[in-house]
Amino acid sequence: MTIKNSAVVGILGLFFAVLPALAHHAFVAQYDASKSTTLSGVVTKVEWTNPHARFYVDVKDKSGAVTNWNLELASPNALRRLGWTRDILKVGDQVSVFVAPAKDGAKMANARTVTLADGRKMVAGVAAEQGGVQ
Amino acid sequence: MREDRVCSSVRSALFVVAVLTFSAALAFGQGQQGQPEPAGVNPAGGGVPMRSLERLKAKSAGPAPRAADGKPDLSGLWGPEPRFMGDISNALKPGEKLPLQPWAVKVSRERLSKDDPEANCLPAGIPRQTPFPFKIIQTPKLVVILIEGNMHTYRQVFVDGSTHPKDLDPTWFGDSRGKWEGDTLVVDTIGFNDKFWFDGIGHPHTEKLHIVERYRRPDAAHLDYEVTIDDPGAYTRPFTMYGQSPLLQNAEIMEYFCNENNQDVAHVIGKGRPAKE
Repeated sequence: MTIKNSAVVGILGLFFAVLPALAHHAFVAQYDASKSTTLSGVVTKVEWTNPHARFYVDVKDKSGAVTNWNLELASPNALRRLGWTRDILKVGDQVSVFVAPAKDGAKMANARTVTLADGRKMVAGVAAEQGGVQ
Repeated sequence: MREDRVCSSVRSALFVVAVLTFSAALAFGQGQQGQPEPAGVNPAGGGVPMRSLERLKAKSAGPAPRAADGKPDLSGLWGPEPRFMGDISNALKPGEKLPLQPWAVKVSRERLSKDDPEANCLPAGIPRQTPFPFKIIQTPKLVVILIEGNMHTYRQVFVDGSTHPKDLDPTWFGDSRGKWEGDTLVVDTIGFNDKFWFDGIGHPHTEKLHIVERYRRPDAAHLDYEVTIDDPGAYTRPFTMYGQSPLLQNAEIMEYFCNENNQDVAHVIGKGRPAKE
């Protein structure tokens, strides 16, 4: 990703940080967009379910300790309409995910953008017009 | 060349953000000018699912089709109206406020998002919408509304001249009877329970709720509606809200059973409105 592409994502990220509503529950009541960060790791499980598709990622910190994060996507119907397919994320894939973490401290977060092992950047929201793939 | 396009994208994104942020700031500002009930949530609610429908919107707008009986045909797959999601105040005429009774102001300020029936996979009721499409199937004597989410459900509107049954049990969608006034389908609904919230921030109602919806199809690609709420148990006077749904093409209702894997509620700790309020 180029620096300028990063800028576009960052700028749009700033906007979505003030959007309070999510599909099925109030975003502001569950996630803290002001603490958004990037998590990198290996996919351990994928749940293509309602009300949210989820995937789980083992993230290793500097000391080598591994934490399994539960990452929330949109619902499968919305993802499908954005151009996602259920096999885009596979167990064992190395991914990098821009997330807004849960307010309650759980190892749970809302995934905003997902960079796949092959370098494709899946934007769950801002790239709807491009079919969800950048 | 590519660099130019990227720079242009950055400028466009900045402009869009500036406009939207300014709009949001205005909306929040309006909610802080001494009125008892703050205008809460940015009308651009619905997030990702709403954006997933953008490219499905019908482009051309010819005249509204007519059914065999000469009535306008409201049948079609319609996109949701974000003004009926986070905060129904957004669906009022500009400058209007919800005429909440004092207890209703208190309730909507105190309600926690974890208790939202919609977040718990229960029906949204009326007039609340979710960021998923709905499908209208119109026949001469019965109009059926198939609702994709937050849970799969349906409404039946009887347009056969019948009236509401007496002694209705209170339900999530009540009992709906429709009639045509010219090209407008007028739907009268009573028999509601008091369990659902009008929106994500928890505007309440009581079993005294009476709703009149007026649906029109001004052209092939749009469905306009007015929703008049009369609930003397929670509001000081009737009030009317306005919405429009876009026709969606090359798409269908998709399956959505919310209680399949609902992990959220256990982690929802705040209110469905921005923390500043």
